[in-house]
Amino acid sequence: MKRAPIVAAGTVVGVVLVLTFHTSPAALTLPTGSGSTATSGQKAAGPGSTSSTGSGRTTGGKSGSGKSGSGKSAASQQTAGQRTATGPVVNYNYGLISVRVTVSGKKITKVSIASLNDGSNPRSQFIDEQSIPQLEQQALQAQSASIQGVSGASYTSAGFAQSLQAALRSLGV
Amino acid sequence: MTPPPVSRLETVMGTVITIDVYPRQEAAGQQVELTRQRIDTACAILHRADEVFSTWLPDSPVSRLRRGEIALTDAPAEVADVVAACAAVRELSSGWFDPWAMPGGFDPTGYVKGWAAERAVAALAPAAGVAGAMVNAAGDIASRGALPAGRPFRIGIADPAAPRQLAAIIELSGSIATSGCYERGQHLIDPQSGSPAARVASASVTGPDLGLADALATALAVAGPDGLSFVEAVAGYAGLVIGFDGATRSSPGFPFAR
Repeated sequence: MKRAPIVAAGTVVGVVLVLTFHTSPAALTLPTGSGSTATSGQKAAGPGSTSSTGSGRTTGGKSGSGKSGSGKSAASQQTAGQRTATGPVVNYNYGLISVRVTVSGKKITKVSIASLNDGSNPRSQFIDEQSIPQLEQQALQAQSASIQGVSGASYTSAGFAQSLQAALRSLGV
Repeated sequence: MTPPPVSRLETVMGTVITIDVYPRQEAAGQQVELTRQRIDTACAILHRADEVFSTWLPDSPVSRLRRGEIALTDAPAEVADVVAACAAVRELSSGWFDPWAMPGGFDPTGYVKGWAAERAVAALAPAAGVAGAMVNAAGDIASRGALPAGRPFRIGIADPAAPRQLAAIIELSGSIATSGCYERGQHLIDPQSGSPAARVASASVTGPDLGLADALATALAVAGPDGLSFVEAVAGYAGLVIGFDGATRSSPGFPFAR
């Protein structure tokens, strides 16, 4: 089953909550150009990239890889050098999470989990395993945000967003 | 291009509350400073509500009230306001929202989070140079105004079967609250049986005031689709329920985005 990525965020500086949207086709108004640029950016943009390895553990095989081919057209976004920051370890409902983000100029090119400790609680692990790959994947596209918040959103995404926001702030984004 | 909001994430009331204030134009200098001060005020409102109403803090006025150590008249004035509001919602919801039926005694939590967020957002907007503001209390959202140029806020409703996906998108005017048993575990109590129970996977209510929307959403989740009638009977409010089978039912006025 195909799932269209959606982007749920305030702005880069704002809360980057990230979800996928699968049920209501009417709302699938993704600006396709901007949606694909971020995903491809991490690979195409060479200059000065630092810790841009290791994100692929779960996101690589999904819709992101399908999109990255088309992303070449967005090369204009990749002129600036890449910078990486790791957000603080944030206490969320199921444990501790820290998010690492890479930006090119003001654009997010990569998001990954720097650390995660959910106490090995099976329920927490289940939720995190389900959510985090998508959070990573979708945060890449946060700048094309078409919604400003989520009702019924979760603790995991709140912790993720908090660490990510702090990381972005430290980069001046 | 929408100018970026001035944002804050505040850990309070046992969760993370996000605050976004959208300036009419790219905010700079003094206006950002003014907005930050208003956000400070909003956060102080949230912390104050936590200190007064927490059922987890043993020495909070509401905890002492629950134990019978103080009378309502001894508690801060806003406690009486909340108690009166809870009684009103119990009436409106035909008893499906009932803080007096909670295990451990009177527990206004189902109303207070929304009530506090509603008070907090009022400290942010309307204000000069501000297009709109939002306070998102772990998925229950109070707002004022809109995006710059009058475009409405668009809010996703999490899919209860897959909480990282959206079941719907709405255009928000006022507030939305969503109750359900996903992710947070069974926290809904059926006032009739006193046991954990929800008849739908998720229930959302939109309307002008988040305190009322929050309490109505709690009631709707327990009552199930039949509860849409008591939600619609309150002027300005509308509901959406998502069943355990994924089937949805909504009020005619529910503000789905086009």
